[in-house]
Amino acid sequence: MSAPMLEIKDLRVSVEDKEILKGVNLIVPAGEVHAIMGRNGSGKSTLSYAIAGRAGYEITGGDVVLDGQSIIDMEPDERAAAGLFLAFQYPIEIPGVATMTFLKSAMNAQRKSRGEEELTIPDFMKAVRGAADKLSINKDMLKRALNVGFSGGEKKRAEVLQMALLEPKMCVMDETDSGLDIDALKVVSEGVNQMRAPGRSMLVITHYQRLLDHIVPDRVHVFSDGQIVESGDKDLALMLESKGYAAFDGAAA
Amino acid sequence: MKFSANNATSAEKQLLEQLDGMKDSTALKILQRFGLPSRRVEAYHYTDLKALMSHVPPLAKSDDLTDSDLGAAGEFDLKDAIKIPVRNGFFGKVSNLAEGFEISENSGSALTERKDMIVALNRALVNNSLNIKISGAPSEILHIDWQIPGSAAHSAGCVEIELEKGAKAVIIETISGSDEAHLGNFGSRIILGEGAEITHILVDVSSRKTTRLQTIEYEIGQNAKMHNLLINSGAKLSRTQIFTNFNGEGAFGDFNGLNLVDEGQHCDITLDTIHKVPNTISTQKFKAVVRNRAKAIFQGRILVESIAQKTDAKMMIQGLMLSEGAQILSKPELEIFADDVQCGHGSTCGELDEDSLFYLMSRGIRRDKATSMLIRAFAEELLEPIKDEQLNGQLSGILDEWLEGKAKV
Ligand SMILES: Nc1ncnc2c1ncn2[C@@H]1O[C@H](COP(=O)(O)OP(=O)(O)OP(=O)(O)O)[C@@H](O)[C@H]1O
Ligand SMILES: [Mg+2]
Repeated sequence: MSAPMLEIKDLRVSVEDKEILKGVNLIVPAGEVHAIMGRNGSGKSTLSYAIAGRAGYEITGGDVVLDGQSIIDMEPDERAAAGLFLAFQYPIEIPGVATMTFLKSAMNAQRKSRGEEELTIPDFMKAVRGAADKLSINKDMLKRALNVGFSGGEKKRAEVLQMALLEPKMCVMDETDSGLDIDALKVVSEGVNQMRAPGRSMLVITHYQRLLDHIVPDRVHVFSDGQIVESGDKDLALMLESKGYAAFDGAAA
Repeated sequence: MKFSANNATSAEKQLLEQLDGMKDSTALKILQRFGLPSRRVEAYHYTDLKALMSHVPPLAKSDDLTDSDLGAAGEFDLKDAIKIPVRNGFFGKVSNLAEGFEISENSGSALTERKDMIVALNRALVNNSLNIKISGAPSEILHIDWQIPGSAAHSAGCVEIELEKGAKAVIIETISGSDEAHLGNFGSRIILGEGAEITHILVDVSSRKTTRLQTIEYEIGQNAKMHNLLINSGAKLSRTQIFTNFNGEGAFGDFNGLNLVDEGQHCDITLDTIHKVPNTISTQKFKAVVRNRAKAIFQGRILVESIAQKTDAKMMIQGLMLSEGAQILSKPELEIFADDVQCGHGSTCGELDEDSLFYLMSRGIRRDKATSMLIRAFAEELLEPIKDEQLNGQLSGILDEWLEGKAKV
C-alpha cells in the first residue's frame, strides 16, 4: 500500500454544539478510490464539509491530513490549493457571477498556488471546451450565471467539470450521482474514471450501488451515526444493497 | 429651541454671511428662520445637515479661471464623449459642439423653487446656468464634467437639459475634485418632451473630504422614457435628491443607484416621485454596499395622485453590509390616492452570503477575491444595462477601485 493521500484520524465535529462526527478514522492511499455509504443524516456530508473547511463545522478533536500535511487549520481556499476538491451534494447558485469568469478565477488561483503563469484566454477556452465536451455539457450552460437555473443533473455535471479543470489530488464527491439520469451517470462516471491516476485519490459518497458498477472502488466504508462502522471491498456495497443498513446498526459500539 | 443667530452653528454663520446680499433671498430667509435642516425635519431625519456640516468654505470665484483650466479633463475622462467642463460651478465658453445639441446660458438656477434648503442654496448661489437643448438622436455621449479643483471652496452650479419631442440622448454627469473640504451644490433639471428618451448617469468620484449636495429634477412627458443610474463612491457627506414628475401618459422612469460607502462616509439618496397622470410606470432599484464604519441612506417617496390610475410603481432597496460598523438606513414611503394602481416596495439588507463565499473559496479562490466577486455580482444588475462598452468599462472601473480599496480616502 502506498502512502496515504488522505488520512482522517479520530475526527470529531460539532455543528451548532451538536456532535455529528464521533471519531471518524479513514485512510485513502494515493491512487485509490474509496466509497462511503450510509443512511440519510448519518453525517456523510458533514464529513465532506469538515474536510473542505466550511465555517460552522467545529472540529473538536482529531485531524485531517492531506498528502502528509494537516489541513484543519487552513482556510478553504488553502485546502483547495493543497489539492483538495469537494463536489457538493447541493452546489450553490450564485447569480451575477458568470460561470466562465468563475472557472477562469478558480483555474488561475490554482495555477498561481502552483507557481504557474495565468492561462491565456485561448488556452482557457480550449481547456473548458475540451472538458465540457467530454461531459456532454452544452455551451449555453456555460454562458449562464454559476449554477443558476441549472437542473439537478446539470449542476452535478458542472461540479465534475470543475473537478476535471482543477486537477485536484484528492476528490471528495458527495452524491454526485444523485440527480443524474442513466445516460448522464455513464458519461459522468467515464469522466471520473478518466481522472483516475496514481497521484490522485477519490472519496465517493453515494446511496446507490449502481454508481459503483461504473466507478469501481478499491474500498467501501459504511457510515453510521457519525462513524465508519464497517469497511470492505466492493462486494460490501452489494451486500448493503441486499440487506440494508440495519445489519450494521450499533456495530461501532 | 427656536433658531436664532445666537445659537447658529459655525457652518450656519458662514452660510448666513455668504448669502447676505444675494439677489435670491429665499435661502437666507429660510436659514435665518430655521437654520440648516436637522433630524427634526422629516426629509432630513437621517441626514442632519445641522449636525453633519461643520464648516462652509469660502465661496468659489470665477476670476482665476483660465480657458485652459476649463479645457482640462476631470478625473473621469470619457474619451469619445462631448465634454462640458465645469470648474467650481462655472462653465467655460461652450459653443455648439455637435449636431443635435444647442447650448445657451440662462441667468440663475434652473431648479424649481421648493421648500428645501439645498434647492434654495442652489437658487441663491448660481448666477448662470447652462441650457442644453437636444433634438434628434446624437450618437455622442454628452459628458458634464463637474470639477472642484484647488483649495476648499463652496461652489454651486446648474444645468438644464431639454430633450425635444422624440429626441434620444445619453448624458453623464461626473463630480471629481481635489482632496479638500469642498462644499459643492449641483443641480440638474431634465425635461423630456413627448416620446423622448434619456439615459442619465451621475457619478460621484469626489474626494472623501468633500460635501456634495445634489438635486436632480426630472419632468417626464407623454410616452417619454427616462433611465437613470447613480454611482456614488466619493464624498465624505453627500445628499443626492431626485425629484420626479410623471407629467404625460405613457411616461416611464427607471431609477437605479449604487451607493458604495466606506469608512467615515455618509451618503444619502433621497427620491421624491410624483405620478400626476394615468398610465405611467416607475421602477426604482437602489443598492448599497457599506464597508467599515459608514452610513448609506435611502429614502424614497412615491406619490400617486388621485387621477393617476393604472400607475405601476415599484421600489426595491438592497443593502450589503461588509463590516460590523456599517449602517444602511432606508425609508420607503408610498402615498397612494388612486385606487387602480400597482405599487410595491421591498427592502433586503444583509451580509455576504456565507455559503456562496465558501463555495468560491472551496475552488481555491482567496477570500478577498471571492468577496469582490460576490459584491460585483450584487452590483452587476445595475451596470449590465449600460451597453456602451467604454462607458460600462469605466463605470465598472469605479467599482473595481472601490473593491480594491483604492478609492481616495
Ligand atoms: N447546521 C446544522 N445544524 C444542526 N444540525 C445539522 C446541521 N447540519 C447538519 N446537521 C445534522 O447533522 C446530521 C448529519 O447530516 P449530514 O448532512 O452530514 O448527513 P448525510 O449523511 O450527508 O445525509 P444525506 O444522505 O441525507 O445527504 C443530520 O442529523 C443533520 O440534521
Ligand atoms: Mg449528505
